[in-house]
Amino acid sequence: MDRKELEAKIIELVAISYGKDEGEVTLETSFKNDLQGASVQMVALVSEIENELDAMIALQDASVCETVKDLVDAVEAEM
Amino acid sequence: MNILDELFAKAKEDPQKVAFPEATNEKMMQAAYETGRDGYIVPVLVGDGPALKALAEERGYDPAVFTIVDVADEQYRDEVIAKYVALPDTRLKEKALARRMQDPLYYAMVMQKVGEADVTFAGIDNTTGDVLLAGQMIIGLKPGISTISSIGLCDIPGWNGSEGTLLAVGDSAVCTNPNAEQLASIAISACDTVHELLGWEPRCAMVCYSTLGSGAGELIDKVTEALKIANELRPDLAIDGEFQLDAAIVPAVAAKKVKRESKVAGRANVVIWPDLNVGNVAVKLIQQFGHADAYGPMLQGFNSIVCDCSRGAPVSEIKGNVVISAVRAAGQKK
Repeated sequence: MDRKELEAKIIELVAISYGKDEGEVTLETSFKNDLQGASVQMVALVSEIENELDAMIALQDASVCETVKDLVDAVEAEM
Repeated sequence: MNILDELFAKAKEDPQKVAFPEATNEKMMQAAYETGRDGYIVPVLVGDGPALKALAEERGYDPAVFTIVDVADEQYRDEVIAKYVALPDTRLKEKALARRMQDPLYYAMVMQKVGEADVTFAGIDNTTGDVLLAGQMIIGLKPGISTISSIGLCDIPGWNGSEGTLLAVGDSAVCTNPNAEQLASIAISACDTVHELLGWEPRCAMVCYSTLGSGAGELIDKVTEALKIANELRPDLAIDGEFQLDAAIVPAVAAKKVKRESKVAGRANVVIWPDLNVGNVAVKLIQQFGHADAYGPMLQGFNSIVCDCSRGAPVSEIKGNVVISAVRAAGQKK
């Protein structure tokens, strides 16, 4: 999977986990300011990444990501 | 008979299967053994089977007390995984689940989710964060509940409240700065917890520094909004406020300050703090000035009972918490 495909997949998974339309989520989307989710959504997201991308991201590593791009970087480093 | 003695007696009436994923720990195995041997629970040790067996023998425990589940037993693991993924609303799929289940904590919770255990009891080797994450991933949250939280049960000598010396309070341990939705979840979960554990009809007060509009400001707005959400989500529960603490638990003060009908004012048996700052300070005040015993924190909000004990807990405290979680699990089935 190349970087572009990974970005698209993670945007899709963020949208599913946070109950948003895919069009609302970009690489610049901020978890704190734009999505305002609780840890429950982040747990869902980490689980989806594990299921779909076979990459195990620690919740604490995912939780410090400010934007979707930061999360893509973290997942890419794990793959 | 104090409350803990009563709960031990209650546990014995309907022993629950408690999964212990940290039983290599000496204190944990001793607590599992003694509560199992005395008939309060059915202990299921989850981990490296041969190592657990050897440790139990070495420590002089009767092996007949324990059921040991070996995480290396692929046949049983695959059966459990098949049952788990067939359930609605579970998060992990086979491959991710098999990987996570190499960790006995996850293994035990998957067993619990599919009905092979009633409670998972951990926290002596794993951190609270580990237990909460595994619980959210595998057991999941109850419908309508937006956060994990906790309550404590205070036994306050000389206090003569609506449940005698007992008062349930929350959240004093888990949810740091709940928003209104989360605060509503804490109140709802607390009502369910005291009902499961003690059979109480919960009367839950949401407290802050104002009684029915006597004060104003954003700190109060959060509490009134939370109350509205809780009442909409669970109209069957007696959750009321906003009250100051005295108006919540002292009938004479409630008579003065609460000039409308309330099932809760003056006779609350559950008190919900607005945030963890208040909760932590309040519990310490109750303990230091009220000389109270505080039991817990009892985790709540999960679909079934998950217990996280303190890492420094002595065996007696672990046994108390094992029994409390088993009674809650039995109460949840009713």
